[in-house]
Amino acid sequence: MTNSFAPPIERAIGAENFLTDGTRAVLRVTRCRDCGSAWFPARAQCSACASRDMTEELTSTSGIAYASSVVRVGPPGFEAPYVLAYVDVDGVRVLAHAQSAEALTPGTPVELCVAMIGADKDGPLLSYAVAPTTEGTSR
Amino acid sequence: MSTEVFVAGAAVHPFGKHRGTPTDELGYRAVSELMVTAGVDPGLVDVGFGGSVYGGSLLAQRVMQRVGVSGQPVFTVENACASGASAVNLAWQAVASGSVECAIAFGAENLSAFGGGTLPLTTNDIEIAQGMVMPAAYAMRAQRYLYDWGAAAEDLTNVSIKNRRNGAGNPRAHFQKEVTRDDVDNSRPVADPLRLLHCCPNSDGAAAVVLCSERVAAGLPGPHVRVAASVVRSGRFSTSYRDMTWPDITERTANAAYAQSGFTPDDLDLVELHDAFAIAELLHAEALGIAERGKAHAAVATGQFDRDGRVAVSPSGGLLSRGHPVGATGVAQICEAYWQLTEQAGVLQVPGAHVALTHVTGGGIFGVDNGACAVHILSNR
Repeated sequence: MTNSFAPPIERAIGAENFLTDGTRAVLRVTRCRDCGSAWFPARAQCSACASRDMTEELTSTSGIAYASSVVRVGPPGFEAPYVLAYVDVDGVRVLAHAQSAEALTPGTPVELCVAMIGADKDGPLLSYAVAPTTEGTSR
Repeated sequence: MSTEVFVAGAAVHPFGKHRGTPTDELGYRAVSELMVTAGVDPGLVDVGFGGSVYGGSLLAQRVMQRVGVSGQPVFTVENACASGASAVNLAWQAVASGSVECAIAFGAENLSAFGGGTLPLTTNDIEIAQGMVMPAAYAMRAQRYLYDWGAAAEDLTNVSIKNRRNGAGNPRAHFQKEVTRDDVDNSRPVADPLRLLHCCPNSDGAAAVVLCSERVAAGLPGPHVRVAASVVRSGRFSTSYRDMTWPDITERTANAAYAQSGFTPDDLDLVELHDAFAIAELLHAEALGIAERGKAHAAVATGQFDRDGRVAVSPSGGLLSRGHPVGATGVAQICEAYWQLTEQAGVLQVPGAHVALTHVTGGGIFGVDNGACAVHILSNR
């Protein structure tokens, strides 16, 4: 299924860290072949055991929200209010914008997607994001 | 590490908005007052350490040379919110090792230079690139804590009310005014569930202490208290599942400090902890072992952390009242503890205080609870 996923074409925040099919997103993770630790974003050396024997993996497109907040005072480049969430995706904990009007309740199933999350002087910037799944499916 | 180390003097430049007073001037004022009040001659000082995040290159040298400490080894230390306490830890190491007998440690910061709003964080960080700010990091910890332990936003407000009440009597505090529940509820939302009065202010200020051997302390005019523990730890990096309601860096630092001192959480009469946000007092109180897991909000609500409670938490007003000139905070906590243990705390005095713990932690980088954490335990016996 990930055959249709490719690096983002638009200007993106963290473009090297994800692939997209235009709608959904998968994350580029490295896993240590010696101790099994997973790292996002990718690193050449394992921060747990210092091994350099790392392999790249792609995550699935689904995760579970761990915590979330509506940010009402943000830094330059982001239009407040916006929703941030920590999401667990295939063993990695990722911070992403959530496509939601409210903070995600812990445990909410989410789908990884792409969205315009910020802007600089040259225009909007895309990145990976999450959206609560409407079907209510949970893993 | 066998030589006992003592704090034999403390000075704080009042925290607040000191726009137009550069970091080195704030640091100079604190160190200068320290040298006078503690009776320390510049020639007595073997080494100096200055902590700051935004103070720039050679801040410690620029400060120490103005009080006549010029030529001795002097170091400028950056360790995020723990910068000042890290400077104290290095001073402690120097004296404890027996290689020197007298060290000055200070912290200084001017945040007004940045204007208002949230502080600029480290660049080239994947979470900051996504729009992360410190209030949001603590807001998410707060959401999860309330969810996991059945607490409510009013439990966060209880922390703000207590610490602002404590700080109302502190002439060194940025805010010296109590707040009501309505004040907190009506303050501007910053990152749900945190409102403005759940957040410490960005402040300017400085603080300084003298650390020395018992022999040097005995020759100085003021009282001295023993440093029973001085510990710094770094964050344990992980990008996998992490319990964000359990600040492991604080637990590890505190446990090392308890082991070093021989004290336990039950021995503490007062704690100055890192309440940069109201939720932080709950998380850190539990990790420091002065409240059961998931019960710190109940401890606050039942007055256990009041000045006359089971253990006084932030009797100086904490960061919520005192403010947070980041690099100065850890040193100011030690100053407040020194005055408590030497019966010089005035209206802030915790009756019969013998053992005090100070805790500062910080550093918004991804993958760790915090980048750096420092815990000190002081005792007057």
